[in-house]
Amino acid sequence: MSFLVQQIINFGVSEGTLALILMVPVVATFIAFSRQIIGIRGLGIYITLIIAYAFVATKLKYGLVIFLVVVITGSLVRLLLKKARLLYLPKMAIILTSVAFSIFLMFLLGSFLSIEGLQIISIFPILIMILMAERFVAVQIERGQKMAIFLTLETVVLAIISYYIINWSWLGQILLKYPLQSFLILFLFNFLLGKWTGLRLTEYFRFKELMEYLEVSKK
Amino acid sequence: MILSLAWSDILGINARNQKYLRTPKRALRILDSKLLTKKILKENNLPVLETISVIKTQRELFNFNWEILPTAFALKPNRGLGGEGIIVVYGKKKETAEPTWIKAIGVLVTKREIESHVLDILDGNFSMFSLPDVAFFEERAKIIKELKPYSFKGIPDIRVIIYQGIPVMAMLRLPTKESGGRANLHSGGIGVGIDLATGLTTNAIYHQKLIDYYPGTRYFLRGIKTPYFKKILNLAIQIQKILKVSFLGVDIVVDREKGPVVLELNARPGLQIQMANLAGLKGRMERVRGLKLKSEERGVRLAQDLFGGVEEEETEEIFGKKVLGIVEEVEISLPPSESHYKTLAKIDTGAWRTSISLDVAKKIGIENFENGRRVKSSFGEETRPLAPLIFFLKGEKIESEVTLADRSFMKYEMIIGRRDLKNFIVDPSKTKNF
Repeated sequence: MSFLVQQIINFGVSEGTLALILMVPVVATFIAFSRQIIGIRGLGIYITLIIAYAFVATKLKYGLVIFLVVVITGSLVRLLLKKARLLYLPKMAIILTSVAFSIFLMFLLGSFLSIEGLQIISIFPILIMILMAERFVAVQIERGQKMAIFLTLETVVLAIISYYIINWSWLGQILLKYPLQSFLILFLFNFLLGKWTGLRLTEYFRFKELMEYLEVSKK
Repeated sequence: MILSLAWSDILGINARNQKYLRTPKRALRILDSKLLTKKILKENNLPVLETISVIKTQRELFNFNWEILPTAFALKPNRGLGGEGIIVVYGKKKETAEPTWIKAIGVLVTKREIESHVLDILDGNFSMFSLPDVAFFEERAKIIKELKPYSFKGIPDIRVIIYQGIPVMAMLRLPTKESGGRANLHSGGIGVGIDLATGLTTNAIYHQKLIDYYPGTRYFLRGIKTPYFKKILNLAIQIQKILKVSFLGVDIVVDREKGPVVLELNARPGLQIQMANLAGLKGRMERVRGLKLKSEERGVRLAQDLFGGVEEEETEEIFGKKVLGIVEEVEISLPPSESHYKTLAKIDTGAWRTSISLDVAKKIGIENFENGRRVKSSFGEETRPLAPLIFFLKGEKIESEVTLADRSFMKYEMIIGRRDLKNFIVDPSKTKNF
């Protein structure tokens, strides 16, 4: 373990918290890489990252359930309110109210069925998910239903992979051992990524036919 | 596959954003607002669609005089993205309690529904970052009859991608039943590549797949002549000059009365155009990078020379027929010997039969004309001698029966008529120096 890390831990910060912080750049890099090199768009770096961390805090199983509850409730209520013609903020407030209410119901159901583990989930990951409802609904309005579903699915997949990266203890140990080096490497890597102008992996599929044609005509 | 060199010709999103989108802030502010774009183009005397009315607030909407709307119009968000939030109506329903219009897809839309849509726009439901927006009514372009078969209840437009003052690629976008009158590719429109030299369409894509016919019809999508194509390219160049944006997508509609009119400008044009043209944007852009232009005409010419060079072969490939100019070289075979007599012939699609002059007939030794066949000519019905003749045109062997005419006062010794042109296409603009 790096003596810098030791210094912080001696100060009283837990090793787990420190590892989670050191993981932020790794996950951010992973999301940037997925967009620029692979071509998975998702809903952006912020939403994906924060959902991944919410999953870590709630355990994946419950995280996914809460996520589903939030997205479905949010979308349904938006559709119901569409005809009513409300101003944006009151409309959002109603959507957030219904999402909070459905989480309330979820806990109630959990208590009746005495589902273990549900009760110990802390407030912050749940709050994060509830607030995410606003983004999902906004994307639905802006980009249309089909696109919103697609982007949300991409985001969930990225968040799940990020979840496993964060929980990868070997990587956590490495980061605690070489914190400065990892910052530097990730910084350089992202700098190069930012200058990358090559085709994305998904574009190789998108333009496959075009490329086959170009190849024939060049010969 | 991935390592192939041809990939380097194709423009991807990364390269577009990182290398070519160097749009200055000032220009972006203009491009992202449809109304501001129109204002600036209008100030520069470029043709745009007239704005009927602008609605900025809810109050303006409630005080709006619906009588001023014509029977056909488009309702647009000022900062809409990718054609989202646009309603196009093409007719007004008569004698209804509430004013009702007919949308491009044939669905009725009432005044109340339009009001509700305007509110959506004002709320920023279609704008970037959901910021409050402005709605406006705009005149609807009238479709030119040449393009009518190729569009379902909407107006086709022409997208020109222009880079550093030179048009590098163009595409005709056709609305379909599915796209609801809009020509955007991701809402189900068809993209048809255009050869920059001739303005003729080449390949078509629909849902990212190559197609030959307009869906549900037998209308062939290749070889469509884009009306006013040169003028369109010129317009695109002028716009880029005014806005000083290095990479730009210009959307132009051809109005029945006004001719080419600017519809919209696009700071981040899509990349599907490459599929419709079966050509890579990056390769083309790299070729024009840094070229200096003296005039707009020069830009058009350069684009046509650089990116339309293969048009003849392409036309031949499309139609499976060879392209002839007005004057072509022919070789008349002289049986029984193996030798040929070479001469220049005029291609005349107004004539049925091929005819040769008396001089040539003498030179190649044709004597046994079958006399007295009645032949219709431009001088009326007359009797001309006929003779069998074999000749070669562009490598094709043609067995013909030709008339004999006194052509001593004409420039060409031979005229080739329609009867012998079945396997060819005639391009009157094609000239060769003989």
